[in-house]
Amino acid sequence: MELFRVEDLSFRYPMAEKDAVSHADFSLESGEFAVLCGPSGCGKSTLLRLLKKETAPVGDKTGRIIYGGEADVPADAGRIGFVGQNPESQIVTDKVWHELAFGLENLGVPACVIRRRVGEMANFFGIQDWFRQRTDELSGGQKQLLNLASVMVMQPELLILDEPTGQLDPIAASDFIAALRKINLELGLTVLLAEHRLEEVFPIADRVLLMEGGRILLNDCPRNIGPRLSKLDPSHPMLPAMPSAVRIWQGTDVGGECPMTVREGRDFLKRNFKSRAKSLSLPEYKHDDAVFVEMKNVWFRYGRDLPDILRGVSAKVYRGELFCILGGNGAGKTTALNVIAGLERPYRGRVNIGGKPIKEYKGGELYRRNLAFLPQDPETVFAHDNVRADMLEILETLEIPKRERDERIEKTAGELGVSHLLDRHPYDLSGGEMQKCALAKVILSEPKLLLLDEPTKGLDAWAKHGLSEILNGLKDRGLTIICVTHDIEFAAEAADRCALFFDGEFISEDTPERFFAENSFYTTAANRMARELWSNAVTCGQVIECCLSAGGKT
Amino acid sequence: MLLIGGGKNMKKLISRAIFWILIPAVVLCGALIFPAKQYAFITLCVTALSCVPFFLRFERGEADTKRLVLIAVMTALSVLGRILFTPIPGFKPVTAMAVITAMYFGAEAGFMTGALSAVISNFYFGQGPWTPFQMLSWGLLGLFAGLLSEKLKRSRVLLSVYAVISGALYSVVMDVWTVLWADGAFNASRYAALLLSALPFTAIYAVSNVVFLLIFAKPIGKTLDRLKTKYGI
Amino acid sequence: MKAFSNVHPAVCMTYFLSVLLVSMFVPHPVLQAEVLFGGALFCALLGGRRASFRDLGFYVPLFLMVAVTNPLFSHNGVTPLFFLNGNPVTLEAILCGISIAVTVIGVLLWCKCYSFIMTSDKFLYLFGKPIPKLSLVLSMALRFIPVYIRQSRRVSRAQKAMGLYSGKSIVDRVKNRMRVLTAMISWSLENAMETSASMKARGYGGKKRTSFFPFRFRTSDGVLLAGTIVLLAVTLAGAAAGVTDFNFYPRVGVIGNSSAAVAVYAAFGALCLLPSALEVKEAVTWNYFVSRI
Repeated sequence: MELFRVEDLSFRYPMAEKDAVSHADFSLESGEFAVLCGPSGCGKSTLLRLLKKETAPVGDKTGRIIYGGEADVPADAGRIGFVGQNPESQIVTDKVWHELAFGLENLGVPACVIRRRVGEMANFFGIQDWFRQRTDELSGGQKQLLNLASVMVMQPELLILDEPTGQLDPIAASDFIAALRKINLELGLTVLLAEHRLEEVFPIADRVLLMEGGRILLNDCPRNIGPRLSKLDPSHPMLPAMPSAVRIWQGTDVGGECPMTVREGRDFLKRNFKSRAKSLSLPEYKHDDAVFVEMKNVWFRYGRDLPDILRGVSAKVYRGELFCILGGNGAGKTTALNVIAGLERPYRGRVNIGGKPIKEYKGGELYRRNLAFLPQDPETVFAHDNVRADMLEILETLEIPKRERDERIEKTAGELGVSHLLDRHPYDLSGGEMQKCALAKVILSEPKLLLLDEPTKGLDAWAKHGLSEILNGLKDRGLTIICVTHDIEFAAEAADRCALFFDGEFISEDTPERFFAENSFYTTAANRMARELWSNAVTCGQVIECCLSAGGKT
Repeated sequence: MLLIGGGKNMKKLISRAIFWILIPAVVLCGALIFPAKQYAFITLCVTALSCVPFFLRFERGEADTKRLVLIAVMTALSVLGRILFTPIPGFKPVTAMAVITAMYFGAEAGFMTGALSAVISNFYFGQGPWTPFQMLSWGLLGLFAGLLSEKLKRSRVLLSVYAVISGALYSVVMDVWTVLWADGAFNASRYAALLLSALPFTAIYAVSNVVFLLIFAKPIGKTLDRLKTKYGI
Repeated sequence: MKAFSNVHPAVCMTYFLSVLLVSMFVPHPVLQAEVLFGGALFCALLGGRRASFRDLGFYVPLFLMVAVTNPLFSHNGVTPLFFLNGNPVTLEAILCGISIAVTVIGVLLWCKCYSFIMTSDKFLYLFGKPIPKLSLVLSMALRFIPVYIRQSRRVSRAQKAMGLYSGKSIVDRVKNRMRVLTAMISWSLENAMETSASMKARGYGGKKRTSFFPFRFRTSDGVLLAGTIVLLAVTLAGAAAGVTDFNFYPRVGVIGNSSAAVAVYAAFGALCLLPSALEVKEAVTWNYFVSRI
């Protein structure tokens, strides 16, 4: 049964030159799980928001939305649930139970009914353990689950989600997607999800809508999306965002049915290719002889009575390399980064930067022309109402003569491709743009060492690729980069060396190819598919290269 | 229909009765029961109760979601400021936040921000008989700023003068009560001593008001203007 | 195990208001002593031994300051002990000063217990029904504050790592906090727009609102409420009848020992000890249950 139908829908924001959504035409069956994807700025959010009366933006709208046979979206807030990207800002009240009840209170449901429905939902989502907790004490994943549950108590018939996992770490993101799947399968709820983690949602979606420039480019079952997209344009910017199996299938160009999961991808590779070398031959990794950052037996805890977070960490990072620190949530990798940045002081052990103990940098010396730090939330870097003013502030502390300032800003902005954003307000930028501007701001201090904390959070595949290119450019200028990340695929592509942080210390470190070849679970999807053929091919590009050089089986 | 109408009238009647009969009766009885401290009792009651009409008016007004959230944000920011600057006694941005809210969102929002900041910050700093006095004085400072908003927006001098005067208000009002409470009647020498001993804090407080207002009035105003165009408040 | 924390908010509020009302406005030595003792005991039970000792460092100087300075403001009384700058320092004034100091500290102690027990969610529950809109604003602000504190720490770190503040001078620190607060203003207002969108998306501002709170009014709450009201009524009746009138000037009065007076002392004493007794009783029962596990 059809739940709703969008007919020739176009929308334009006031003062905008182009339609944000143009001539969208699609319908959704009741009980379907549909995924909406597309590069950032393609109009996904606008389209989703138009589907719910309370979130619809103001502007010129043409075309129709026929919902449940009626000529417009329903006025009843409970019928369509909406979950957005930022877990924090969607929460309204201070207690978990109150947040769950909030929607029902608004609808004027009697307290006894609220009690029952809230209890039921808390059970379904496993919230009962933190039911009476304060909402600010929850983890990001719990917050987003709470947002989902507090929409679900209103018993909607359609659930709209706008990149709900963007701010979550990979494990919390998988849990969230699993919860969505459970809702869809067990409650039969219709789900429309905008998402850029396609690796995980493609296998469970019934349908994928691919948007570009405000139009719906493709509307098909997930398996056909990759083939149709590569036929349309073999260098389409959405192709790198496709699941690894799809990318390898497209890159090898052997045709046949397109695989989607790791299992299908592995079968596909085994069926079509034969490995002679068993591994990819790679040149020996050459690093600079100079050690730029050295940690020697570093111990750290947050309070005298609290447990140790760093337990005798020792590590060497060579000049000019990109060193990725990987590890699970709460393993202490961010703490390790903060210690290197001089933001936390270890109670035992030493940290040397540029051959000099960190203690010997006095005042702000460490942060001027030596070390730059890009925190997890790029917003925390900005304090002014345009990017340029924020950048000027840095140059002022460096005591750079006034006449040189503009030139320097233009130069750095040019290198990072943010020149056109300098006069914008930081909060008007998209996630990727803000990230780049924040990076531009921190490297204005001409650092020799750059520290990055989760730089790929909230970025789509395209922006991630851009970031890795920027980092390579900075490396060529002689910068040493240390990056803490959850993102295995990014580390495999960008890092010179990777290290796994576990139980308060580094347990393994090596070049990405060797590092991931040693792991069997904690590795890239491409590597999991290809490891039996080429154990050290870790990126899609490497797997494709192996396939092409190995030639077909027949 | 008639029944519902009747119910409504009844409710109105009851709330009026509470307002005009019950509350004065309680205050009067209290004054009779506590002869030794009647002035302190009456002052405290009147202070606490004079916030009520403002709250009720706010309750009855239009429920604009963005406005509600903004009042909550400004309140939280003023409490955050109070927490950030705890190491320096008397250095508090509460009045400044209430005044700024009033300048951009009107007298009522200013009153709410001031009064709620008092209640909420005392969840962190401790509630006590001073809570109603803080509520009323911070609320009123917001309210008057709202009435003067156009002038305050135009002149930085006037803004500074307002900030200095408002710095003194709380301790002037609160100390009257402290004297009434301790002595049962007004004792000028104790009042003078209290004011004098509070003078350093009052001075810091007045200075902090000026500093906060001059620093934050403009950026907040700009941000709010931006949000007005971006989201249409 | 804080037995009084589990009492229904309305009962808690009634209880604290009753004790505070009498302790603030009935200046009778026996009642004041009861307030001080009950408050100190309850505070110690709630806060633990170590915190109570730490608090003494604040209360003892305060006590001395209020008690000793009173003769400077008040020269009434008929028993001059000595003269200071030509003004008499009287015995009555000193005793009155002690009485004021006891009241001040008693009230402060009870306010502390109040803050401990009447957490924000109970406060919101009480006012959620009569003033729903305001209580929602309160609830939001209470949520924002810890979130803002955390975010302001992040901002402060980020700013430090950009070399924007380095020195340890007070001016530098104040400047840094100001900068953090400025950054917080943009951040919080931007996020507030999303919060309001989320409220609207969940139907806020539509029909008549209901309110839900996971508090139940149990029989024990009823008993406690009735007890509180009866004890308060006895005390207030005594006060109204003049039983608790007591004067320091011109001459220190006599503490009444009529049966009415004793009844008032007993009633108010019971009121002051009620929560402590409840805590002790709960601790004993709990130990009994634990011993059976």
